[in-house]
Amino acid sequence: MKQQTKLTPKRELEHGAEQQTQAPLAKEFSDAGELLRFDAAQTIVPPEIAQRLQKSEASLSPPASRSWWKNIFGG
Amino acid sequence: MNETVSSPGLTGGLPAGWSSLELAALYDEHSRAIYYLALRFLGDPQKAEDATHDVFLKAFRRLDQFRGDASVRTWLYRIAINHCQNLCQSWHNRNIRAGSDDALWENSPAKTDSPLRVLETKELGQRIQKTLDALADEYRLLLLLVADEELSYEEIATLVGQSADAVRGKLHRARKAFAAHFDKTV
Repeated sequence: MKQQTKLTPKRELEHGAEQQTQAPLAKEFSDAGELLRFDAAQTIVPPEIAQRLQKSEASLSPPASRSWWKNIFGG
Repeated sequence: MNETVSSPGLTGGLPAGWSSLELAALYDEHSRAIYYLALRFLGDPQKAEDATHDVFLKAFRRLDQFRGDASVRTWLYRIAINHCQNLCQSWHNRNIRAGSDDALWENSPAKTDSPLRVLETKELGQRIQKTLDALADEYRLLLLLVADEELSYEEIATLVGQSADAVRGKLHRARKAFAAHFDKTV
C-alpha cells in the first residue's frame, strides 16, 4: 500500500542465556501484507516466461490488411 | 491518471529478444507483480507461468484499448484477475472444493496486531501458500493486492468492485483469518 513504507522485516536475535547456543534468527512481520511483500520480493519470475512471450510476440500476425487491388479483383 | 507504457530502464534501445519496446517495457516493469499474484492466487508455479504469459500477451494485443484512466499496473491486474478467476471457475466446476471456514477463523482469538513470527524462511513460501489456499478467494485476492505498495485502497476497491470502506473492513477480517491459519501451518 502507498501508506506503508516499511518493507524490511525486523531481524531479532534471541537474547538471554540461550544466546550462547546458536539462537535462530527470527523474522517478524507486522501483518499479512508485510509478509506477502517479503515473499513477493523473494519470488523469482521464471525466465521462461519472457522467452515464451518473445516467441509469441514474434509469431503474432500483423493486422489483416488486404491490398486495394485484392479488394477489387479478389485473390 | 494518464500513463504511458514505458520504463526508464529500457529507454536506451530494444532489449535483446524483444521486437516490441512496449511489451518489453510492460514486462520489465510489471512481470514480478503479475507473476506473484498468479502464483499465490492459483497456487501452482506452472499455471502461474502460463497465466503470466497469457496476461501479457493479452495486454499487448489490447494495448490500443488502454485508455489511460487507470494506471498500467491496475489495468494489468484487471486482466490478470479475470484470467485467474476464469481458471479457478473452471476448476471449481470440475472439482467442488470444500467450503472455506473463514467465519470460524474470524471469530477465533487470533489478534491482527500481533506480529507474524517466522523462524525458518526455507519453507515460508509453502506456509504462505497453504495459508492462502485456506482462505476464501475474495480474502486471498484482497491480501495479495494490498501487498502491492503501488496500489491505493481506491484502486483495490475499483479492481474488486467494492467501496474503499468495504475493502478496509474485509481486509481486517482477511488479515485475522490469515494470521490464524498461518499459526496452524507451523
